[in-house]
Parts: sequence; structure tokens; C-alpha cells
Amino acid sequence: MTAIRRILIANRGEIAIRIARACRESGIESIAVFSDADADAPHVLAADAAVHIGPAAPSESYLSITAIIAAARGARADAVHPGYGFLSENARFARACEGAGLIFIGPPASAIEQMGSKIGARKLMIGAGVPVVPGETPPDQSDEGILSAVHTVGYPALVKASAGGGGKGMRVLRTDADAREMIPAARREATAAFGDGTLYVERLIERPRHVEIQVFGDAHGHVVHLFERECSVQRRHQKIVEESPSPALTARVRTAMGEAAVAAARAAGYRNAGTIEFLLEGSGDEARFYFLEMNTRLQVEHPVTEAVTGVDLVRAQIAVAAGVPLPWRQEDLTQRGHAIECRIYAEDPASGFLPQAGPLLVYREPHGPGIRVDSGVVEGGTVTVNYDPLLAKLIVAAETRAAAIDRAIAALKAYPILGLRSNVPFLRKLLDHEAFRAGRVDTGFVDSHLDDLLGSSGTNPEALAAAAVVAAAPQARGPEAAAAPDPWATLQGWGR
Amino acid sequence: MARTITLRDANGVHTISVADDGVVRVGGGEPIATATRADGSLLVGRSHTAFAIASGETRWVFIDGDVFRFDVETRGTRRRGGSHHGSLSAPMPATVLRIHAQAGAEVKRGETLIILEAMKMELPIRASADGVVTAVHCREGELVQPGATLIEIDEAES
Repeated sequence: MTAIRRILIANRGEIAIRIARACRESGIESIAVFSDADADAPHVLAADAAVHIGPAAPSESYLSITAIIAAARGARADAVHPGYGFLSENARFARACEGAGLIFIGPPASAIEQMGSKIGARKLMIGAGVPVVPGETPPDQSDEGILSAVHTVGYPALVKASAGGGGKGMRVLRTDADAREMIPAARREATAAFGDGTLYVERLIERPRHVEIQVFGDAHGHVVHLFERECSVQRRHQKIVEESPSPALTARVRTAMGEAAVAAARAAGYRNAGTIEFLLEGSGDEARFYFLEMNTRLQVEHPVTEAVTGVDLVRAQIAVAAGVPLPWRQEDLTQRGHAIECRIYAEDPASGFLPQAGPLLVYREPHGPGIRVDSGVVEGGTVTVNYDPLLAKLIVAAETRAAAIDRAIAALKAYPILGLRSNVPFLRKLLDHEAFRAGRVDTGFVDSHLDDLLGSSGTNPEALAAAAVVAAAPQARGPEAAAAPDPWATLQGWGR
Repeated sequence: MARTITLRDANGVHTISVADDGVVRVGGGEPIATATRADGSLLVGRSHTAFAIASGETRWVFIDGDVFRFDVETRGTRRRGGSHHGSLSAPMPATVLRIHAQAGAEVKRGETLIILEAMKMELPIRASADGVVTAVHCREGELVQPGATLIEIDEAES
């Protein structure tokens, strides 16, 4: 065991504040880092000390291994927490920490590397008995050879160019008749696009759910899972709503997925917090799941798991990194009630979810029983274009899924963000959508219900009344409004 | 004495009168009482809590989980006749991916003129009014800074 006394947090925004909070509770000093753009950022104030690491461009600050290691050494930190994003899944960074005598609060560099390679991870999972999406590049590339591979993976199947992506040569096959007609066409297209007609055959997972399992390992050979998070609601392939338990899992499938996730983590020699992502197909006890990838870090949506299991994942990360055995055995862990997280983004759903920049003229977080907000911004602050537009995460917990949805909607109705567009109104409509309430969610949910979710409610008289009151009394503007620059000067022509 | 305010949004122009006691009438509708609370929020009618704030000519309102944006119309805000010269600038550091309009081209309001790429996403820059492109100030592949003028348009009569 190595005592950790001072942690450098190699991140910004809400996650840096979350980590600083865990440090404070553990009696550990926290050191923030900041770029030129973040000198006054809330995460700088949340830590015990802060070190400037470079210009606004992430490549020269939050992504600079040299700058971060120098900051950690200068501050005499003994450990580094990478958060998520930035350098969190960079094996070179994990090694550089080790080389500098710093504890990297995360998995071993070898595990990051192994799971970072799609092909390598797939091989490792097959070896560990974890289901993967059936697929192969058949050695016999004749029409008959491909057809036989299609029969092996089963219908519906996908054939595509082995040489490249972009949907070139891709065909969906549902019957033998389809296959006989489309295999030669796919080969011609692949040859035309890549000069290589080799085809890859894969089982097509239609309308899958994205369900992931939180795992945790220590340096003493213990690995546990902390149940699932349902993350099917996505836009632009990024999650926006996560919940636990998943409305799709039966007890039997949940157990099978938990066991598979633990097997996967063991195979990778995994330590610390990680997540195994699966695609889930079908429903009930017959639902099938397939390994998608492993995220070798703390997830954005980790509070959902904290809410239903009652553990503190960040404190556990610090303890395990110091060599302390895992504080829980598998049989100690239970899922209780229901939790939902909504990611609050500065973005305009009506313009294709474009990120927004501007001043936070009004920013008030909701409070109340079962409501947690992890945020990286304050009223009067400015959202810049330099970094991810995630402002905060709203996490609610209640006894049942229905009660958690009601609580989340009430919280969103008490979450004013003005001065730039946020996705709060969009999330409110999404949670109240009949299909979401019924738990009928897959990764195509946002796209297939987009019209309902963007539907304008028209101009209501109360909104006009409120606007007219401030319009009639310009002298009554808040101090924030007077001090803030006009956001529209810089947002001109911004796809409005 | 009541003051009359004109607000515009995508649904049209709204005329509202605000009395000194905070009672508001929208068009010819029923009076709505309003009161400002200590935390800066507004009580609107019997039970709605709203937040409203001014930023230049823009008024932002949050009420019941919905956000509204209005523009205050003052005399002279509405352009009558003549043409107006407008330009569109880059909202953030970005790479110019494609330019769809050349100088002299007639463009329609909402038409995509330029596509930028930033944060791994494509950002369309659209015409804010019908008009004629008078100048293009960027090249495909160029890295542009926030505020850089990308394209100029002579806007047609509105």
C-alpha cells in the first residue's frame, strides 16, 4: 500500500470538481490544472491549488502529457486522476505517470492498450467466453463460401468490404435469395471502392439497446460488477440519458451480463473502475448480448451506478490505486430503486444539436430529495467553444422508474439556463415521451422520435408576460446581464 | 401608466401592455399579474415561475421547462425597403469544409452557404435573408478564427 496525499486532477469541468470533492472527503489535497481559457473556471476554485498548463487548445494543455507531468511534479503530487476524455485512455500517459513516480488512478497501461485495439479486444473476449457479434472474413471468398459464412452468423446478416468502412459495398441480407443476388453486387462495389473485393460477413443487430456493466478490480485479484446502465438514448452517437436498472433486463440476463463483464475484466488483467459496453438484442430471458467495447476509465454516467448501489466510485478508485483491497464483495452489492441521469449540454437540438457558446445569464440548479447535480459552470460564467459543451449532469433517484421519470421532469422544469440554448427543454419532452415512459428505447430512439421531441409548443402568454416585464424595465436587468458581452455578436450566422 | 412592448418570435409579432403594478395584457387577452421574487424569478399568473433576462434586444424566458427567445421591436427595427448589407462570420475556430456559394450568386434565406468543421462536427453557415453574395472571404481547407467574416451578402428588400 502506498499512501496518496496529493492528487493532480488532469481534467476540467464537472468531473474535475467531482474528483476534488472525493479528495476533500478522503482528506487528500487536490491540485487542479487549467488552460488560459479556464483561469477563472469553477474547477480551479474547487481544488486546493491550481497549476496553469498552457494555452486554450487542448493539444497544448489538457492533452499535453509533458505539461501535465511537469505540473504534477512541480506540485509534488503523488498521484494523477485523469477523469474521462482527454488523457484518460492514453496508455502512453499512464506509462509516463509511472515513469515519473506518480500513481495513475486507473487501469494498468497494458489493459488500456489491449482494450484500445478493436481486433485485439475482440480476440481476447472470444478467448474469455464473452459473446461478440458473430462475424468473419471467410477464407473461401466464392459466392458459396460467403453464403456458408452467412448461414454460420445467421440472418439478418450484413456483408461489407473487408478493406474499408463508409458503408461501401454494405448489404443487408435477410434470405438466401437476397444473399445470392447481393453477394456479387457487394463484391463489385468493394472492388470499385477499395480495389479489393474481399468481403466481411457479420450478424446484423437490429435496433439494439446499448447496455453497459460497471466493473471494478483491485490489485489483489478481486473483480466485481456493479450492475448495468442502460444508455440507449443517444444523439450523434453520444449518450444523453442513462439509467439503472435497464427496463430491458430480466434477472437472468442481468446475472449473465454481470458474469460476462467480470470475465472480460479478468481476461484483460483489469484494475480500478471500468465499463464493459454491450449491444442487447431482443427482450425477456431470450435477449442476447454482445461485447461492443471496454471503456478503461470512469464513465460520465457513473453517478447512476452510485445512486442505485450507494457506493462512491471515485473514492473507491483512489483507494484501489493506493493498493487497498476493494471495499465490497460481489454479494454485498445490490441495486436499489431507480436512477436516471440527463446530460445537460449547451447545444441547440433544433439545429442538429449544434454546440452553443455564450454567457450563462441565468443558471440555477434544481434541488430537492433524490436530486443531484454535478456541474462545471456557474451563473455569470461563459461557455466557450474550446471544450466539450457538457454543462452539467442531473441525476435523480426514486423508488421506481416511473417516480424517477416524474422527478427528473420536475427537476428539469426547475432548471433555468438562459443566455444560450441548452437541451433542457428537449430532455423534458424526451423523458415525458410515451415510448420512453414505456421503456421502449433503442439506439435509434432520438432519430425516430425527433419530430415529437422538437415540436414547438407555440408562444404562450405567460412567457410573453415575463419577457414584457423585463423589456419594460431595462434598468432592472441583473448585474450579470450588464456585465456580459452580447452573445449574438459572436454567434452571427450560426445556423440559426 | 401602462407601457406597450412589441416582441417578435418565430410565431409572429406580439403586442403586450405592462402596467406599473406589474399587470400584463397580451394582445386583448385577460390580465396576467406578475411579481418579482427575491431570487430574481418572476411569479406569472397564479402559479407559474419564470426567469427572464435581457441581452441587447433579445429577451430570454424560462418557464415550466421551456425556453423562449424574443426580440424587442423598437421603432426603426423593422427595415422598410432598400437593401441591407450583411455578413456572416465564423462562430468558433473551424476549418472551411465546403463553400456552396460564389460571388454574384442569388441565395435564399436559410440556404447553406458554407460548411465549417469544428469539434469533429459539420456546422452549416446559412443565409439569414434572401440576397446576392457580394464577396467570399475564405477558401476551402482554410482555418478560420471566431469573428472572421466568411461571406458578404447584399440582402434583398424585406
